[in-house]
Amino acid sequence: MKGFKTLFWLEYRRSGAWAVALIGSLAFWAWALFQARAVDPVELSSVRTVLLVIAAAVGALVPALMIGRLRGETRGGQYQVLLLTPPSGAAHIAARYAFALGTAAVYFGILGGLAWWVVEMAGLTVDASTAAQLVLGLPLYVVGTTIAPILAWTVLLTVFVSAYRIAGPGWIPGTVMVVGTPFALRWLVEGIARAAYSLPGWPILGSLGISEGAYMTASPDGHEPEMIVDGIVHIPQEPLWIMLALTLVLLVIASRIWREVEA
Amino acid sequence: MLASLSDVTKRYGRTDGLSNVSIDFPAGQVVGVLGLNGSGKSTLLKLLAGLLFPSAGKVTVFDGPPRQNRAKLVYLGENDSLWTWMTPADAETFMKGLYDDFDVDRYRALLDSLAVPKRRTKAMSKGERGRLRLAMALARDAKLYLLDEPLAGIDLLSREKILQSIVREWHTDETILLSTHEVAEAEGLFERVLYLREGRLALDARAEELRDQGRSVVQAFREVLG
Repeated sequence: MKGFKTLFWLEYRRSGAWAVALIGSLAFWAWALFQARAVDPVELSSVRTVLLVIAAAVGALVPALMIGRLRGETRGGQYQVLLLTPPSGAAHIAARYAFALGTAAVYFGILGGLAWWVVEMAGLTVDASTAAQLVLGLPLYVVGTTIAPILAWTVLLTVFVSAYRIAGPGWIPGTVMVVGTPFALRWLVEGIARAAYSLPGWPILGSLGISEGAYMTASPDGHEPEMIVDGIVHIPQEPLWIMLALTLVLLVIASRIWREVEA
Repeated sequence: MLASLSDVTKRYGRTDGLSNVSIDFPAGQVVGVLGLNGSGKSTLLKLLAGLLFPSAGKVTVFDGPPRQNRAKLVYLGENDSLWTWMTPADAETFMKGLYDDFDVDRYRALLDSLAVPKRRTKAMSKGERGRLRLAMALARDAKLYLLDEPLAGIDLLSREKILQSIVREWHTDETILLSTHEVAEAEGLFERVLYLREGRLALDARAEELRDQGRSVVQAFREVLG
């Protein structure tokens, strides 16, 4: 894709500081997870789970904000400069999206590592395969099913709003998208719920060499096991494929709008 | 014909930015696009650049729609549109990576002749940023240059440097459209002048013809638009 390398470099120069700050914030989350205190182990696990969820939300929000900065460039005139460059709209959209998604993927990969660490701190021992799933498999599943479409939606929103700015107030398409999204989301969730498990589920713990009914356990200080994983967790693969397809559709629409936009 | 507008109208809501304008631009002219504020100068240049689409009529650049041929033209907008973190070296990386016709040696020579400092644009004056943007634009080997108010808000010495660079870098097969309010300073550049009034083409004249009639470009400006 012509010009992609330079456009990706441009993204790095524009949003690199945000990306570094986001990934650097994982040090804070690691510190917070380590410092978390609670009376009993179950409560402690809950506290740490909440911290991980907040960290995950931050990991979705910051890349979306990186993309959303296009609005400022519309006012500043940089958008005009980009529109006139020879690379296609698809190349511009791809570079912007790839940088944000790449940042999120790195962030969630490290966050997966922190989740593994939390499991270890809870006194559970996991084998290498489980660790790989926690560090790579689950984060990629989360990125694919939630972060990838959220970022694609943000790309479409910013391009759509910018496209209307010349002829009228940008808040009109912005409002249409923001108001319309919950309805679209509802249909999407209902569709995914209907489609889920049509295909074989992915055995999250099943492929780890832990047979059904076995337990994953052990407290490092020699106490009796405190948690038993009884059975295999199957994750439906349909949400991933549906959301990746949706992501692609959103990006194609955004690229198309880019071609038609005035500035 | 390098570019042309045929019965072009551009509406912004209920207002006509440009109204029923037809103009041809052959190769090898330096054209002054003159008019008061809101006369349609920027709209004309944006239509030729493909940043705006006509509400009616047809705009052709290099025998096709402007947006499709954007790689072959240079547009320098009136906005101060560089990223604040950008240095002249960053600008070189940007231009070199995106434009096949960008000449690095010419760019560096222009930076020197225009005395552009090597710091971030955030730390540059408006004149310095204007000179950097002009260096980026003139370092390309295009056939059509659309320069929208490159002299606006810039000090006298910078304006002189910019005008000298335009004269020096112009080749006889290239067409430059330059819109400006600094009519007197730029008058010597123009081979042809377009006077726009309230979105309409009030006069399309060759500068030499005006001089033959004993009128300067500035005098004609006062007569036509005053």
